Amino acid sequence: MSDIATAGASGSAPSAVRSGSAPRHRLWRLTQGAGLILGLYVLLYALYAYQQPRALDSYAIAALMNNTAPLALAAAGQTLVVLSRGFDLSIAGVISLTNVVLAVYPLEGPGGALLSLLVCLAIGGAVGAVNGWLVAYLRLQSIAATLATMIICQGIALVILNAPGGAVSDWIADELTGRLWGVVPVSGLVVAVVIGLWLLVRRTDYGIALYAIGADEPAAALSGVNVRRTRFLTFVAAGMLYGLAGLMLSAQTATGNPNSGTPLLLLSFAAVALGGTSLSGGRGGLFASVMGAATLTLLQKVLFSSGVSSFYTGLFQGVVLIVAVVFSGLLTRIGERK
Amino acid sequence: MTDATGRPDTGERHLSSREMRAAGVSKSYGATVALEHADIALKAGEVHALLGENGAGKSTLVRIFTGAVIPDRGEMRLHGEIYAPRSIIEARKREVATAFQELSLVPNLSVAQNFLLPALAGRGSPLISHRHVLARGAEILERHGLTRIDPAARIGDLPLAERQRIEIARAIENAGRVLILDEPTASLAETDWLFEQIGKARARGVAILYISHRLAEVREICSSATVLRNGRSIGTVGLASASDGDIFEMMVGHRVEHARRPARAVDAARTPRLAVENLAGHGLRGVSLHLGAGEILGVAALEGQGQRGLFRLLAGLETPAGGVIRVDGKLAAYRNPRAALRCGSGISYLPEERKTEGILAGLSAATNVVLPLLPRVGRAGFIGRRDEEKAAQPSADQVALNPRYLGFAIGDLSGGNQQKALMARTLATGARTLLLFDPTRGVDVGTKESIYAAIRAFAERGGSVLFYSSELPEIVQLADRCLVLYGGQVFRELQGDDIAEQTLVAAMIGHDPCAPAARAPAPFATPAHAVAENAR
Repeated sequence: MSDIATAGASGSAPSAVRSGSAPRHRLWRLTQGAGLILGLYVLLYALYAYQQPRALDSYAIAALMNNTAPLALAAAGQTLVVLSRGFDLSIAGVISLTNVVLAVYPLEGPGGALLSLLVCLAIGGAVGAVNGWLVAYLRLQSIAATLATMIICQGIALVILNAPGGAVSDWIADELTGRLWGVVPVSGLVVAVVIGLWLLVRRTDYGIALYAIGADEPAAALSGVNVRRTRFLTFVAAGMLYGLAGLMLSAQTATGNPNSGTPLLLLSFAAVALGGTSLSGGRGGLFASVMGAATLTLLQKVLFSSGVSSFYTGLFQGVVLIVAVVFSGLLTRIGERK
Repeated sequence: MTDATGRPDTGERHLSSREMRAAGVSKSYGATVALEHADIALKAGEVHALLGENGAGKSTLVRIFTGAVIPDRGEMRLHGEIYAPRSIIEARKREVATAFQELSLVPNLSVAQNFLLPALAGRGSPLISHRHVLARGAEILERHGLTRIDPAARIGDLPLAERQRIEIARAIENAGRVLILDEPTASLAETDWLFEQIGKARARGVAILYISHRLAEVREICSSATVLRNGRSIGTVGLASASDGDIFEMMVGHRVEHARRPARAVDAARTPRLAVENLAGHGLRGVSLHLGAGEILGVAALEGQGQRGLFRLLAGLETPAGGVIRVDGKLAAYRNPRAALRCGSGISYLPEERKTEGILAGLSAATNVVLPLLPRVGRAGFIGRRDEEKAAQPSADQVALNPRYLGFAIGDLSGGNQQKALMARTLATGARTLLLFDPTRGVDVGTKESIYAAIRAFAERGGSVLFYSSELPEIVQLADRCLVLYGGQVFRELQGDDIAEQTLVAAMIGHDPCAPAARAPAPFATPAHAVAENAR
């Protein structure tokens, strides 16, 4: 099938969803979805490798993956909500909450890690269910509803652990940041599994419904789409991804901090926007946001290895975000004119 | 809501087993009564028209049938069983489907995906096969004679007319028992395709409810009609026995007269308000025209002959690729509607798409009307609630908009009243030149009369009007002069008594002016689109 070639690259723009009336050039379509951000990432990586010859070592790659995974997973969850034309602020609360839970109640061994994973998914899913209920069934605006759940979650996190401290179980801290067979970084694998699941979900009725309600909710409803259920499921799935992000963050930091999720809140939106997902819903995709998150993280590394003070990181990230959004807007406009 | 007591329908149930019947259906929103009392019966295999002015309650009745609105009172039966859908999905399960006037297609999905919503995955697998969806989409397109449409095309990329066809085809696919067509020809160029599909559905024994403002069309396809007025069903008539006058009288409550505006001499010596030379770009290939003070200039054309580009260029929404625009004799180069409004004696534009380009749904009708002159409304920069209504009053009076509606959110008003409010806004700008793009699109007879009166009164006061209309009788009634656009150029110019439907029709399809008219005039209202097929 023709979309195999672009499926991986255009995770943001499922070819099934965006194929226009005129058969567009395949190379051109690469620029439409995740192609742009993928290109940017490769460019940045080349720069990084030029500065740091060891950047291509499997150790360095794994370290980069470990740094990337929490934001990538958080951005993945945020993408789902943004696609459905919503915003999810509870991301910060869920990540903080799972982080302190893992640090205060460490469960040792692989069995404990599995249980921890389930706990994280359950916390995220539960918060997502509350969000979904508030937004889909009580028709609250998503920013207001998720702001409330974020504050609640952060409050609970402070109750559990009122100052940075605690220790995440060794198994989680070691294994989830390690490499399988000395090569494959586990954190990268987790992100890859999420992307794989997304590629499947995109091809389900739910996936189509997600894009439909994001683009035109009344039309989707009149077309027979169950808008409420779709919206509800979206918040639950997003919450579970935040839970997973919390787990990966805990593995990386190995300690608890009741405010650990806060920096990821705005960066997740930056990653989504950088990936070209429209903040007004219905356009974009999860893979592109993951790449957006990866780019933001890599940018940090590149700046660090260039000797730029870390105080300037935010400045550069913001500039890159603006440039990328303007550039992708230009490309889209050229594409429409064709 | 089921109030079956005392209604003697037990006897007729078996007789009318294959019909949809609604009795005493009503719905109100707070103090506003949208539908007071509607009785209607749709028989299987019959096309039944629903007629009424905008605001008569047609849309509410459609929404009730569709399950989008739950009625307060009344009973509905489908094939003898109680029918009380609480959602669109439920109505669909009972095989009642609607082609909506506003179109309910999702713009970022493909044609095939829209057809199959909400369940695209086949039975057995939760995953959607892209190829399978396209194949089924192509199959549906073929069944409805639309093979020219690519099933993989994104809905948002298709022209409006094709989208409307897809909306209709989808409704027919889902309508096993009842098919509701709400203004199905609003953006269709011809009715042949539609009537053929309706014929096929009728042969399957589907009961069809047909809603249209175009009586000629209704007469062609429907056998009987129910008239709604002010939320009440006034009665059901057989269309063969009722005259147009009878039906108008039922709809409006009084007779409607069609009077042509007396021809007026425009002072040719004076500089024209608006003069355009060789305007090009956005579908235009060198259009020249002039518009004098006190003149009403009509534009007639089939779909897509450049009329949209002409109006958008003149309104300042687009920049011309070439040509000159002169306002009051002075060279004008404005790049947005705000500048156009301030240019010379002012140019004000009434856009085509009421919903997306016109109204600000959440604001009151008064705010919508006074928007262009807000700075002049307030006192020291502050605007009181009453100020807007007071300022909107004179313009509202000119279009006979009931002042009681001024305080309502415009989104809650009927389409006709929204259009009146937009017309009032266009007048309120104080501009001496109006550009009206299809000013009576999709509005009822009563509203049309009010808008015509407002246009005429504006011209009497020395204003200039350039208007496009998709309905020929409108041009015949209103225009002092008429330009026929064809292929982005002015194909013919008609004046005074030469403006007649048959002449216009011939010119619109690019017929030589000297040759006889291509088609005899239709008995009643010939929509301009009705002849498009000839042009293809």
